[in-house]
Amino acid sequence: MSISTVADAPPPLPAATVPGGRITDHRGSWLPNGAMIATRFMELTRRRGLMAALILVNIGIPAVFLAIRLIAHAVAPHSYGPAGGYDIFSAMVAGELFIFGFIVAATLGCTAGSVDLTEGMFRHLVVTGRSRLALYLARIPAGLAIIVPLIAAGFAIVCTVCVLAAPTQLSYQNVNAPVGLSKPAFETWAAGHAQEVICNFNFNIGPNSDLVQVVNSVPCGGGNGPGVKIGPGAPTTTPVSHAQVQSAARQIAASNYADYSGRFLSPSISLMVKAGLWIELYAAVGFLVGLGLASLMGQRTVPVILLIVLELVLTPLLSHTPIDHLVNVQRGLLGIAVTHFEPGGLPSVFGGSHNGGGGDPGVTMTTAAAIGVVVGWIVVWTGLGAWRMVKRDA
Amino acid sequence: MTTIALDESASSNAAESEWAVETHGLTKRFKDNVAVDGVELLVPRGCAFGYLGPNGAGKTTLIRVLLGLTHADAGSMSLLGYEVPHHRDRALARIGAIVDEPRFHGHLTGRQNLQILAAAREPAARGRIDASLDRVGMTQRGDDKVSKYSMGMRQRLGVAACLLGDPQLLILDEPMNGLDPGGMLEMREMITSLVAEGRTVVLSSHLLDEVERTCDAVAIVDRGKVIRQGPIAGLLADSAFELQIDCSTPDRAGALLAGTQWGPGVAIGPDGLRVGLAAGTERQVVAEVNRLLVEGGVSVYRLQEVHASLESWFLEVTTRLGADQ
Repeated sequence: MSISTVADAPPPLPAATVPGGRITDHRGSWLPNGAMIATRFMELTRRRGLMAALILVNIGIPAVFLAIRLIAHAVAPHSYGPAGGYDIFSAMVAGELFIFGFIVAATLGCTAGSVDLTEGMFRHLVVTGRSRLALYLARIPAGLAIIVPLIAAGFAIVCTVCVLAAPTQLSYQNVNAPVGLSKPAFETWAAGHAQEVICNFNFNIGPNSDLVQVVNSVPCGGGNGPGVKIGPGAPTTTPVSHAQVQSAARQIAASNYADYSGRFLSPSISLMVKAGLWIELYAAVGFLVGLGLASLMGQRTVPVILLIVLELVLTPLLSHTPIDHLVNVQRGLLGIAVTHFEPGGLPSVFGGSHNGGGGDPGVTMTTAAAIGVVVGWIVVWTGLGAWRMVKRDA
Repeated sequence: MTTIALDESASSNAAESEWAVETHGLTKRFKDNVAVDGVELLVPRGCAFGYLGPNGAGKTTLIRVLLGLTHADAGSMSLLGYEVPHHRDRALARIGAIVDEPRFHGHLTGRQNLQILAAAREPAARGRIDASLDRVGMTQRGDDKVSKYSMGMRQRLGVAACLLGDPQLLILDEPMNGLDPGGMLEMREMITSLVAEGRTVVLSSHLLDEVERTCDAVAIVDRGKVIRQGPIAGLLADSAFELQIDCSTPDRAGALLAGTQWGPGVAIGPDGLRVGLAAGTERQVVAEVNRLLVEGGVSVYRLQEVHASLESWFLEVTTRLGADQ
């Protein structure tokens, strides 16, 4: 069998006559250009189903919740409290925006990290000669340009309602109390509202305390007993003086002052700024983790499920109580590390401790360790996603 | 920062190279399966070049290796004079390619998909979107979502994507797939016009008839190896051909020829007398056959040389190779 060669092939054209000229862009650079970022932004925002779901979760749910509260309060102000205020703000931020913001961002990240591959565009893009790393990195600013405003919009709605529809008087443990009193002033106010304080405020006293007799002498109407908790074996009612009742109210108020002093009618600007930055941080990290994980796995569904399980199951489960041999694993969880930066004045998201927040002690860690964990999650997942993108067969 | 601005040495090497594609000993394995087996391929610039082979012969794998979609296990290659993978970004800057079935973001329009691809190319590519759509006849449908496109329309969009980079070399993997006869004709004309502009088109296909109509030269690949390559006319000229004879008495003519050196190739069918002639037979033989018949009292109305089509030649070559192995 003879193998012919191309010696007889048509004479080639001189290279200089062919179309196309000198290319002077930075195609080999790992830095994406503005057009790549802009088109990637366009590609993601044109996914109507995805965007509708993200908007619904991050903006729709808080908006509907607050709207119902506004309507209910307007219709029956005595039955339903104000729609806004500090308590609603802290509950919405720590209970909804923080967790669902992460899930929304992770979902977007997983989409950005996988769709080129699953929809067959990846090889078109590789054939352009553009650096694969640049193709990967273009997704980061494009995705953040979507997720940051989205989170901010939901947060802005919560802030607006919580400030504008805040209660005019603080309802502390079901007692209308003035806001911002000093400790002596709070005690003085308690003495003037001794019966309400004794009947509603929480306070632990032993069975042999002098207060037991005083507290039991105060009649609490409407079927409500005193808010104070008395140990077993407490003596029954004995007549007491008005001065003794006022003194007891002062003591109960003093023991509640730490909690009271953290209550406000509406969130402060400082708290709103800190809380906004905090949930944006968590969402941004969630996006980067989703992007890297989906790029690594080459698909969207499984990474989304994994991150939802991490956020809604694993992190809450492992954040409450330190486990002797697993405490460092617990500290390595992203949610627990980010909770360390939770602004003071917000309830703990996962029940663990945070910087100035309330809640159980939970898993503790230093600020340096928390920073290390967050940076580690970003670097590791971004690195793995980029590596897979560069090495993957297209 | 790495840039694609051509350095002097790379640029001059590229300009000097007369081959659009050049591979030596190129090999790609998937575990025990050798998909590309020591391929030696030279594609001249400025022609339409067919890369032919049956399904599973390794055509697409070779293209994927050339374009850097997967890595080679051995061998060397260059595209437009640039060694790849070392200068792949420079080479790909002037290459357009469709690999496998062209797929795009279905939720975007054709134009928006092209915008994404243009953004990854040089800034001038964005200005070529309208012209590219127009050239493939997609201007009217450019703003429709790709999810509504037929297979043929996606093929056209794939070619439009190739044209964004004003390519010197186009590599089209089965571009006729999904096209109706009219679409195939348009695609053929487009390829011809691209070549007329000085571009090189490498066409991978198993549609031999289309390749024969479109290409100047071909390479035949089977089981990962290139077994023949060269200009189509040259390859077919070297093959056996047939002489069809329209005459007054085919039976008598057959009897006259049976006693000659051409006797083994004589056959009488419903369409007349046919004489099979070996590859390399000189044209003088035709005149000799005619003289023999006329002198034998047979009236000859027509004599016609019928060369093998690329398809029959391809089958002959691959069948013979299979028998050898």
